[in-house]
Parts: sequence; C-alpha cells; structure tokens
Amino acid sequence: MIPISAVFALGLCLFCIGLLGVLIRKNLIIMLMSLELLLNGVNVILAGLGYHLRSPRGSIFAVFVIIVAVSEAAVGFALVLSYFRQKKTYDPDEINDLKG
Amino acid sequence: MPAVIAFAVFIFFAVLAVVSAVLVILQKNVMHSVLYLAFTVLAVAGVFFCLEAEYLGAIQLLVYGGGIVVLYIFVIIIANLKETVAEKRGLIPRLFIIAVPALLLLEAAAVLLGNKGAFPAGRGGRPGFVPLAEMLLSTYLVPFEVASILLLAVLIGAIIVARRKLLHDPD
Repeated sequence: MIPISAVFALGLCLFCIGLLGVLIRKNLIIMLMSLELLLNGVNVILAGLGYHLRSPRGSIFAVFVIIVAVSEAAVGFALVLSYFRQKKTYDPDEINDLKG
Repeated sequence: MPAVIAFAVFIFFAVLAVVSAVLVILQKNVMHSVLYLAFTVLAVAGVFFCLEAEYLGAIQLLVYGGGIVVLYIFVIIIANLKETVAEKRGLIPRLFIIAVPALLLLEAAAVLLGNKGAFPAGRGGRPGFVPLAEMLLSTYLVPFEVASILLLAVLIGAIIVARRKLLHDPD
C-alpha cells in the first residue's frame, strides 16, 4: 500500500516545478512544456486519491484533465506558430500587443 | 506484489519523474528539454501503473508519449527555434519568481501535514476497468460528450489559427 502522503508529495513537487518553469523561462515552447508538467502533477494527485479512496472517480477526472491538456497544447502551439509567423520573435516580454 | 516492493517501485518512478522534470526546465537546448519531458511522461505513466490506474497509465503513454511529445518535436522543427532569448532578470523579480512556487509548496505541505487524519482510506477491493467504464459512460456521460465537442472545436480552431493565409491563392 502506497501512502497517500507520498503521492501528494510527488504531485506537489511536479506542480511546483512546472510553475517554476512557467515563471522562470523565457522560451514559449519550454513554458508550454512546464504547463504539461503542472497538469501531470495534478493527474498524479487525482490518481493517488482514486487509489486511496478505492474509487474510479480519480481516473475519470484525470482523463478529463488529460483531454483539456491536449486541447491546450494544440491551441497553444497554433498560437505560437501563428504569432511567430507574424512577429518573428519568441520573447514573451515582447508579446504585449493587447496592452492598452 | 508485496507492499514494500510496490512502494519501492513507486519511489523509483517518483524520483525519476521529479529529476527529469527539473531537467526539463533547466535545459538550454529546447530539443533536450523535449527528450526530458518524454522521460518525465514515461515515469509518470509508471507512477500511474503503481497506483493501480492502468487505464490512466495507458492513456498517458498513448496521448502524452505518442502524441504530445511528437507534436512538440514537430513544432520545434517547423519553427526552427535556434535563436534563444537571453534569460536576464533583476534580483527582485527573480526572488519573487522563486518564492511563489516555494511558498505554495510549503503552504500545501503545511495544510496536508496539519490534516493528516482527514483522508480515511476507502474500503473494498481495487476498482477495475468495469466500474470505471460504467461510471464514465453513465454518471459522467455529459462531461464525456462535452469533451468530445471540445476536441472537435480544438481541431477546427487549431487549423484555423495556424494555417497560412494565402491571399492570392484561389483555393
């Protein structure tokens, strides 16, 4: 039996590493990758709770999280490609077209 | 499988996942980052198998390992990310950036340690595929269908956003 606290620790570590990556990096692709890490951490906690509570709901919620993560990755890449085609830059600090 | 061995395998995959996740955000080369991301994804799939979520592990391997990582590699090849942005920041922003995840981690750990008895383990055997499938297609049928509509919208939206606009092409 795997203790639930170990699962929480792993999920929190993955989440915080992903959050750190989103905040600290200035490369749009690596920022998107860190978002995947963040969602993976959430999935680990959901799966661990399903295992701990003996319920299939953990897996079901994690499947929905995966679906949303895939959608986010696809739309994010489309936006990055389209933006790069227009502006020829990947610097997130330069992306301020909507700034009033 | 004895409980000790299961826990040892879990710890192995967990350490693998955390180490490669740290390496993802530390790489200078984006391609190396993607390879470490693939490593992290596989390790997390191993964690799912340890947690008896076989369906989730299989989905993780198929969707992440087979789909998203390849999508990342294609985007990096297409976009040709040779030039990198200088990652220079002042001391104060850097401190804030590191403090936010660290404080979040500490706060969550404090809350969880403070409520140690708040998660009583469920009873019964392991939930296999059959209860999962029945619950997914009965109780959670509406979110399931909404997810399919979301995927269709994403398919169309991504094509529309990412396509090249050829103004002089009659097609």
